[in-house]
Amino acid sequence: MKDFDLEKLERKNIYKLPENMFESIQERVLSEMNDFDLEKLERKNIYKVSDHLFENVQENVIMQLNVNKKAPIFKLNWGYAAAASLALIFGSAFVYNSFSDSNDDNTSVKNYASNNSDQKKESEVAYETLKSDLTSVENNNQTIDNQQKNQQIKTVAYVPEKTEAKPQTVKPVSKKTEAQMSEYLDSFSNSEIAELANNSTQDVYLDLYN
Amino acid sequence: MKIKDAEIIALMQNPRTLEKGIRALMDAYQSRLYWHIRRIIVDGDLAQDTLQETFIKAYQNFHQFKNDSQLYTWLYRIATNEALQQINKLKKMQKTDEDPEYYMQNLVADNTHSDAEEIQVFLQKAIQSLPEKQKLVFMMRYYDDLPYEEISKIVDMSVGTLKTNYHYAKQKIEEYIKENYEK
Repeated sequence: MKDFDLEKLERKNIYKLPENMFESIQERVLSEMNDFDLEKLERKNIYKVSDHLFENVQENVIMQLNVNKKAPIFKLNWGYAAAASLALIFGSAFVYNSFSDSNDDNTSVKNYASNNSDQKKESEVAYETLKSDLTSVENNNQTIDNQQKNQQIKTVAYVPEKTEAKPQTVKPVSKKTEAQMSEYLDSFSNSEIAELANNSTQDVYLDLYN
Repeated sequence: MKIKDAEIIALMQNPRTLEKGIRALMDAYQSRLYWHIRRIIVDGDLAQDTLQETFIKAYQNFHQFKNDSQLYTWLYRIATNEALQQINKLKKMQKTDEDPEYYMQNLVADNTHSDAEEIQVFLQKAIQSLPEKQKLVFMMRYYDDLPYEEISKIVDMSVGTLKTNYHYAKQKIEEYIKENYEK
C-alpha cells in the first residue's frame, strides 16, 4: 500500500440503486405534468410594482377631482336649452313689440308736434290775415265812401299812391310789404289808430298793434 | 378596521363627506382593482393610469350607482371597460404585421419580477393567449373568486355562457403549460 496512487484508482459508484430508478423518476415527472391541476397552483401576482403606487394614485385622483370641482363640466341639457331658446324668442319678441309701441307713441308725439306746427302755421296764417285785413282797411280808407265818412281825416294814406292795391286780394306778405306796412302804420296817429280800431270788427288783431 | 360598502356609499352621497368617501373607496378597492386591471393590461404605468381613471369615473358617475348591485361589481365594471379601452388603443397603435398575442406575451416577460416562478410566468403568458371574453372570465373567477352571478353583471353575459367560457379557458391554459413547460 506504500505505492498507493489515488489517480490510478478506478472511479466507481458503490451505492446500491433501486431497480429502474431513472425510468421511474422520468415516469413520475411526466405523470405529474400530465396531472397538472391549475386549481392547485398558488395565486400570485408576479408583476413588478412601482413604489408608493397607491399613494400616487390617490393623490392624483384627489388632485384631478379638485381641479374638476373648480371648473365644473357643463353638460348641455337639450330640454333646458330648448326652454331657454323659447324664452329668448318670446322675450325678444316682447321687447321688439314694446319698442315698436314706443315708436308709435313717438310717431303720435311727432304727429302732435306736427299738429302744433300746423297750429303755428295757423297763427301765421292768422297773422297774415291780420295784415291783409289791415291792408284791406287801408284800401277801404282809400275808397270814396270811406273818404266821405272820414272827410275830416287827412288822407295821409295817399302817400303811397303808387300802391293802389286792389282791396280784395290777399297776397302773401313779403318783407318788403311788411316794411311798407310798418311805415304806413307809423304814419297814423294814436287817435287815428283808435278810430280805425273802433271801426274794425277784428279788435283782437288790432290790439296787437296798440 | 375595514370600512363597509354601506358606509362608503353614505359618505359618497353626502357632498360634505364626498372626499372622505372617495378616499375610503380607494382604500377599500385599489388593490383588487389594480391587479384586475394589471392582468388585463400587463404594462405597469398604463395600469396605474387606468386605475386613476376608474376612480375618477366612479366619482363622476356615482349618482348612477344603484344600491341593487354590489359596489365592487359596479367598480369592476368600470375598471374592466377602462382596461379594455386601453387595450384597444394599444392594438391600434401596434404595427399591423405584429401578432397581438406575441406582443402581450413579450410584455409579460418584461414586466415580471426576476425571482418569479417559471410556472407562474407561463400561466400569465397562457392567459394572454386566450380570447378576450375567456380571459376576463378566467381572471375574475380564478384570481378574484367572484361568483358567476356577479361576473355576469360585469361583462353582460349569462351565467351558463360564463361557465362554458371558464371551462374552455382553464383547459387551454393547462394545455399551454403542459406543452411549454416540458420543453
